[in-house]
Amino acid sequence: MTARRRHFSARYAERSPTIFLILRRMRAPLILLITNFAISVLGLTLIPPRLSFFDAFYFMSYTATTIGYGELPQPFTGAQRLWVMATIYLTVVGWAYTIGSLLALLQDRTFRQALALRRFSRTVNRLREPFLLLVGFGQTGQILGRALDSLGRRMVVLDLSADRVDALDIDSYHADVPGLVGDGADPRTLDLAGLEHPQCEGVLALTDNDEVNLVVAMTAALIRPDVPVVARTVSPATEHRMRAFGSPTVVNPFDRFGDHVRLALHAPASYQLMSWLAGGPGAELPDPGRPPGAGRWVVCGYGRFGRKFVEDLRADGLEVTIIDVTEQEDEPGVIVGDASDPAVLAKARPAEAVGFVAGTDNDTTNLSLIAAARRLNPGLFIAARQNHRSNAPLFAALNVDWVLVAAEVVAREIYAQLSTPLLWRFLQEMPACGNDWATDLLDRLEAHCGSRLGSVWKMTLDDREAPALGPWLRRDHARLGDLVRSPQDRDRQVAAVPLLLLRGDEATLGPADDVTVEPGDQLLFVGHPMARRALIDTMINRATSEYVLNDRTVPAGWLWQRLSRRT
Amino acid sequence: MSLEKVVFGFFVLLAATLNFGFFLGDISDPALHNVYELFAAVVVSLIATVLKFGDRTQIGAVHLATSLVADLQLIAAALMWAYATQISSAGLDAEAMAGVVSLSGGALLANLVSVALLVIETTTFHRR
Repeated sequence: MTARRRHFSARYAERSPTIFLILRRMRAPLILLITNFAISVLGLTLIPPRLSFFDAFYFMSYTATTIGYGELPQPFTGAQRLWVMATIYLTVVGWAYTIGSLLALLQDRTFRQALALRRFSRTVNRLREPFLLLVGFGQTGQILGRALDSLGRRMVVLDLSADRVDALDIDSYHADVPGLVGDGADPRTLDLAGLEHPQCEGVLALTDNDEVNLVVAMTAALIRPDVPVVARTVSPATEHRMRAFGSPTVVNPFDRFGDHVRLALHAPASYQLMSWLAGGPGAELPDPGRPPGAGRWVVCGYGRFGRKFVEDLRADGLEVTIIDVTEQEDEPGVIVGDASDPAVLAKARPAEAVGFVAGTDNDTTNLSLIAAARRLNPGLFIAARQNHRSNAPLFAALNVDWVLVAAEVVAREIYAQLSTPLLWRFLQEMPACGNDWATDLLDRLEAHCGSRLGSVWKMTLDDREAPALGPWLRRDHARLGDLVRSPQDRDRQVAAVPLLLLRGDEATLGPADDVTVEPGDQLLFVGHPMARRALIDTMINRATSEYVLNDRTVPAGWLWQRLSRRT
Repeated sequence: MSLEKVVFGFFVLLAATLNFGFFLGDISDPALHNVYELFAAVVVSLIATVLKFGDRTQIGAVHLATSLVADLQLIAAALMWAYATQISSAGLDAEAMAGVVSLSGGALLANLVSVALLVIETTTFHRR
């Protein structure tokens, strides 16, 4: 740890403490003050009747600071008074200048920034818990920050905007979140924010600028290759460049949304399951929604989002009509014009289409496009891009079938990865299992846990986490179905469903009751928090585990255990 | 030639010379040690200290430290002189004077280190 710190200080010059900053600025006023005092005191000791240095200094001290006790030790002569008159103006001006400079220094913007920076780096250096470094605290960062904070994770925030960093103090977070106003593209700032801190457990590049995210991902990969990096981007080219450095997790909201769309087209139940689990604790089972019919789609807005969407639709063999304000070189069939113009919209014949996509980067335009398209064809399946979070109620009121909120897609995605890596793995591998499998699992989830998602947690079947299961696990046929029996009544199951069983590197998705478990297996459960406590009880308490696994009642106390063993 | 260096060197050297002047002579004889010289030594030493503020180099830090030591010793000497002349019933006798002068002798040592540092600094940078 110390080696790392030393390494760090060798790379960047140590900042001088605040006191030296003050002293450097105070040089001129202090020298003036000393000189004034010296001249005044010297004069008093020379003018007859000559005062001693002690008396002279005493007199000047109370006169110069405008306290003024009068003429001590004896009333002054005319010559002394003449000199004192001059020195009063001299020293009072000296004091006023010194105090004025000091106050001006304290008000100084650069000085205050230097102070804030020192305070920030001190707080970061003192962090003794693992923390995540969030670069960019816009919509995505804030959603994610709140979710991670409720999980009890610590964060350090870096953002260009002072408003967002100031808001950290006002918003209610459980833990103190140190924030710095600075450019993430500057390696030095990243370093100050704790990139080289031994407790830094991950770097999240979430700014809305791809270039900055790339620099952050690059810096992190070069300076801390051991730390996982998650970066957001909307351009495939940047994604490619990011992957050149280490192995960052790159999240492209449009790309992910495209994956979701394809999943929803092919396997509505899988899509339903995915959005439920990714919704986080407390999420309601999403409405299955109506599946879009087969037929032609109309896409308004051919930007990054529109392109991606069209690509995904075409990959599914669907016919697409595109409307955009500018002519596209690579797309000859584009209807050029403003889609909110009824004549232009009519050219795309929405009445004969099945789906409509409002994908411009302006929420007002998107909303009016949806309304216009609905009027022409009430049965249209509608997908829309929502650019600002505050417009969510408007999109909800319009009953849009699919809404893309880029910030939420990214935040949800990263949250799933950071909170429970097993859940992430489940979500990645789930689409391959097919729609029927997902319908089955959804039924099981609903039967055991209801329509509100409980918590998702991981359990490891080893001697540390499950000491009471040792003998049972080492038997040949330890059925998973026996483990999830309820400690209250072993004929019922606890209100939890195992989502994934991980043995070594091999994952079994949605393991059935007759799957055998072995020591060292990791299980991912979803269910009620009560069920989690029940399972922990089974895993730790021998009396409970004997009942749950073998239907035997053994005494819980040490004495009775001894006695019953004798008989 | 920079004016800043001239002023800096001037004050560092002057602090040492004034200190030396005051220290010179029989340690217990008040007649050989001028109190004005002590006053001048205190003032110049204080100014030299302020001039050394805010230099971030290693040698600058040692400069500042030696100056602070000299200030401390000289102020202690001045306080002792004030005690002897104003408070003590014995007045400024040989014993009190020896105390004042020996304190200023300590300051002189610190000032000599300061001058040595100044010389070292100069020889290090003379090629520029």
